[in-house]
Amino acid sequence: MISLHLIFKSMLRRKVVTSLLLVQLALTLALLSNSSLLALQTWNQLSQPTGLDLDNILYVSLKPTSKNLQEYPAFADLLERQLAAVRQMPGVAAVSFTNQSPLMEGGSNSNVNDENNRENNTQNVPQYTVSPDFLKVLQLDVLEGEIPQTIQAWDGESTVPVVLTKSLAERVFPGKSAIGQLTNGGPVAAVIEDFYGQRSAERVMYNRIQIAQIYGVAWGYGIILRVEPGQAKHIRSQIPDVLKTADANIEIFSVRTMDDQLHRMFRNEFGLATLLAVLSGLMLLVSMISSYSNAHFNALKRQQEIGIKRALGASKHSILLEMLTENWCTTVAGAGIGIVAAWLLNQALALVISIPALPVWLPLTALLMLMLCVTLATWYPARIATQVSPATATKTL
Amino acid sequence: MEQFLYYLKVSLKSIRRAPLPYSLTILILSLGLGVFFANATFYYRLNLDPLPHKSDKLFFPFMNLVPYDCQNCEPPNVLSYSNVQKLGATDIPSAKAAMYSADGYLRLTPQQPPMPVKIRLTQPDFFRMFEVPFLHGSVWPDASARAEVILSRQTAEKLFGDTNVVGRSLTLDDFEYTVSAVLADWAMLPRLFDANNNNHLSEVEDIYLPLETGYDRNYLSNSQSSSFQDADYRKLATDGRTKAIHQLQFWVQLDTVEQQQAYRQFMANLTADEKKAGRHPSAINNKLVGMRDIVVHFNKDGGDIKAFALVTLLFLLVCLFNASHLSLNRYLSNQYEISLRRALGASRWHIQQQALADVLLMASITSVAALLIGYSGISLMNELLPANRLFSSWDWTLLLSLLAVTLGCSYLVTLYPSLRASFGALNQQLKE
Amino acid sequence: MIQINNLSKSFRTELIETQALKNIQLHVTEGEFVALTGPSGSGKSTLLNVLGTLESFDGGDYLLDGQSVKGLSDKALSALRNEKIGFIFQGFNLIKDYSLFDNIELPLRYRGFAAAERKRRVEHALEQVGLAARRDYHPSQLSGGQQQRVAIARAIAGQPRILLADEPTGNLDSLMARQVMELLEQINRDGCTILMVTHDPDQARRAGRQVQIVDGQLSDAAMYDPLQHASPVAVA
Ligand SMILES: Nc1ncnc2c1ncn2[C@@H]1O[C@H](COP(=O)(O)OP(=O)(O)OP(=O)(O)O)[C@@H](O)[C@H]1O
Ligand SMILES: [Mg+2]
Repeated sequence: MISLHLIFKSMLRRKVVTSLLLVQLALTLALLSNSSLLALQTWNQLSQPTGLDLDNILYVSLKPTSKNLQEYPAFADLLERQLAAVRQMPGVAAVSFTNQSPLMEGGSNSNVNDENNRENNTQNVPQYTVSPDFLKVLQLDVLEGEIPQTIQAWDGESTVPVVLTKSLAERVFPGKSAIGQLTNGGPVAAVIEDFYGQRSAERVMYNRIQIAQIYGVAWGYGIILRVEPGQAKHIRSQIPDVLKTADANIEIFSVRTMDDQLHRMFRNEFGLATLLAVLSGLMLLVSMISSYSNAHFNALKRQQEIGIKRALGASKHSILLEMLTENWCTTVAGAGIGIVAAWLLNQALALVISIPALPVWLPLTALLMLMLCVTLATWYPARIATQVSPATATKTL
Repeated sequence: MEQFLYYLKVSLKSIRRAPLPYSLTILILSLGLGVFFANATFYYRLNLDPLPHKSDKLFFPFMNLVPYDCQNCEPPNVLSYSNVQKLGATDIPSAKAAMYSADGYLRLTPQQPPMPVKIRLTQPDFFRMFEVPFLHGSVWPDASARAEVILSRQTAEKLFGDTNVVGRSLTLDDFEYTVSAVLADWAMLPRLFDANNNNHLSEVEDIYLPLETGYDRNYLSNSQSSSFQDADYRKLATDGRTKAIHQLQFWVQLDTVEQQQAYRQFMANLTADEKKAGRHPSAINNKLVGMRDIVVHFNKDGGDIKAFALVTLLFLLVCLFNASHLSLNRYLSNQYEISLRRALGASRWHIQQQALADVLLMASITSVAALLIGYSGISLMNELLPANRLFSSWDWTLLLSLLAVTLGCSYLVTLYPSLRASFGALNQQLKE
Repeated sequence: MIQINNLSKSFRTELIETQALKNIQLHVTEGEFVALTGPSGSGKSTLLNVLGTLESFDGGDYLLDGQSVKGLSDKALSALRNEKIGFIFQGFNLIKDYSLFDNIELPLRYRGFAAAERKRRVEHALEQVGLAARRDYHPSQLSGGQQQRVAIARAIAGQPRILLADEPTGNLDSLMARQVMELLEQINRDGCTILMVTHDPDQARRAGRQVQIVDGQLSDAAMYDPLQHASPVAVA
């Protein structure tokens, strides 16, 4: 009943208006699909497995403020007092010192290789120097070997045994047990479950741990603890005071849950995705406004035409359908160009940020979304248009 | 003037007749411009040249003088102490300074609570090269170690409650130092002398210490220090000076093309000699990077702002299209009136003047709205991308260019429709 | 065919209420050619609009083919209009943006005819009004008389049983007016019932029957019009 042919004719007649509308719809679709893509990517990154209990592990980042306290043996004593103080807090399940937190962009790291096969080198492996309870805090199971129970000092002579995460052990010693093997950093004492170390590493699950003194505190260090479920908030607010009571000569930079760490790590992506989402929302709004106004002006301008059609037997319903169809046609045409534009924008964005290739379903979903918005925005003016009285509209001017 | 007021009155009247399309046009235009403003602010600020008359004369030399063997390695981002000594052993540059940054705790007396400070450990030429203004005192006479610090104005005020504190003493990380100078207000944004790890987005440091003193007192870089050798980075005074502990930036000032050429040659000779002596196992890969290219050199990715800039530009385009579409519709619905007025003797010039009044009116409303939206956009971006926080302020140049953009956009949005209205065939429009 | 009993219609604005039609009593049988005359503002167009179901009415009853139109849904009314009634407006009311073909085809589309059928009917209608050669013209490229003929073609393309014409010759010179009039008579001879508003006494006389409206009422004068008695089927 509704003639696409007539609709296209009328679109062609209003060349300028229609092309403005098309360009805009195309850009909207391009932007909408790419920002959803980025948002999806960020969401995937935030929900990837970390091997860690994100809510119940706290990390306190701090540093002694006096030179004396920053050096051994005073520093070892400070650590002992701090760990003792935290351990006594009700709701704390385990506590350890560490030179750095898991779930970071980058930090202390070094290369790891098989001392007998130096060719097979793994770069940027995070290295942790921690007390034995570190594994209890992170709740990581020992898969092989045994965790050393004494904190080694760096005397420059004796080697300090290393603990590798499972994926790193398989990478460095493929096809054999790592236990007892010699790495460039020391003999392997144990292999543990994977956890998320540093994002800039070759693989985020590669980690090397040594039960040893913290080497230097120029960059500060950390107290990491696991709390009973539901206690995180409370302990988080208490812990600065507890640590200050153990020794006042410290600066506390931050107290964060692992979940905070994760979010900080993807802060840029999250920020960009949010901004793009806001922008996409605005774009949809703008499209809605333009569909609305387009339909509105059309209804005004074509009052007589609509009246004539009504007089010739078009029902309100078919007038409504006709106006909606017209807008749908424009949307689909715009979206057709938009899919190409989306692909181009995806390529352009890939030059400056890391963004995956655009899957086909995304622009199609964006198209549906756009259609929905356009329909909503056209509905009201189209309804008004159907109210045109045929008697009045066909009256002689 | 009186005529102009009349035109304004006509504009207002036509707005009042159809307030919805007009406000939608304004809304869309200011949305596009506001989002564009927010992004343009960051873009402009981040790409501002802090030393426009000099940045083409400042260079950072990179080389692969490291104890490992790598045939297709990029040179490390930071240099070792001995790298710098070798790169500085020439008179070709007009100025040269090695530098790095560290954290420390500052007190007036050892008993006071500590004040966390950022320290830049550097050499006298730093202040000349980057044109750092002095308020009191003067820079150290040479690059040797000395227990003398230079304070930023703010730090001096915070610590002493005064700026004229040359000769007074203070405690930095448990050692006593004398103040040899206080800087005048100085903010180099972006501070391109330290662009590794996006540090150029940070503020300048609070306190300056001779580089040699920093090594003597074991200050480790707070940005990047890499050790390519079995070395104890807690012993900077010894291992730090002799072994492959890399943590330094090094800038040379090369005023002329000849100087630049000569320095490149010097670097080439240096690495060739080192290779011959067996101290340069890697393939030679020398680079002399100018200050204007240093951010790109260090941050190969991290194009968040760029990506967003691209997208906001597209958004502005969409809004422009949309607003002109809206205003075309508006003019078309006014066309009968315009034609009537032309029939009554208004010339095209009159109609265009009327359009000009429309433009001015629209531009003024839009710029206010756009600035508001831009301001909220900047706040949102500061919240979401806090790294760029320092680059979010407006200055007059920026503000005026933004206003000019608004005017231009309003004109574009009004131009086509009004042209179409005033040049359309008169009789045809009246007949319709 | 058309039975109107006691029909009245008034327009209400905030200020005044205009009683446009009062107690209209009108019966029209199939095949009649009725001329509707009366002074300006007397309610002729309003009556025609009510007959064409373009306008609702307040009191009384309107039976079309024995079926009351009161209470029919918009959809049913539209279909009724589309199938049974053809309109010729005083102001042509062609859609400017459509070609002649598209204009005439429009009501056939609403009727749901297949494309081939539509084409056949449009071409036939165009031939009837003598404009077959100009099917792809746009209304603005035609003279007033030609436009009116297109309007007639549009009205008859669907072969409606009733043709409502509001001053079909009002805008035309006398020659054109005669041509249009002859066309209408032809259509009437083919069996279509016609109600035509006119100011021209000559034209009115040529119609089978004259009805006059004064002040929204069928005037007595009409009842006693001698021509009325001359008409073959007179129902008053
Ligand atoms: N939509 C309307 N609202 C209010 N009053 C109306 C409306 N349409 C018609 N009228 C009034 O109803 C009365 C009859 O109008 P109508 O158009 O039927 O007259 P007419 O007989 O066709 O006159 P003409 O010969 O001038 O065309 C007039 O007084 C007119 O003012
Ligand atoms: Mg009339």
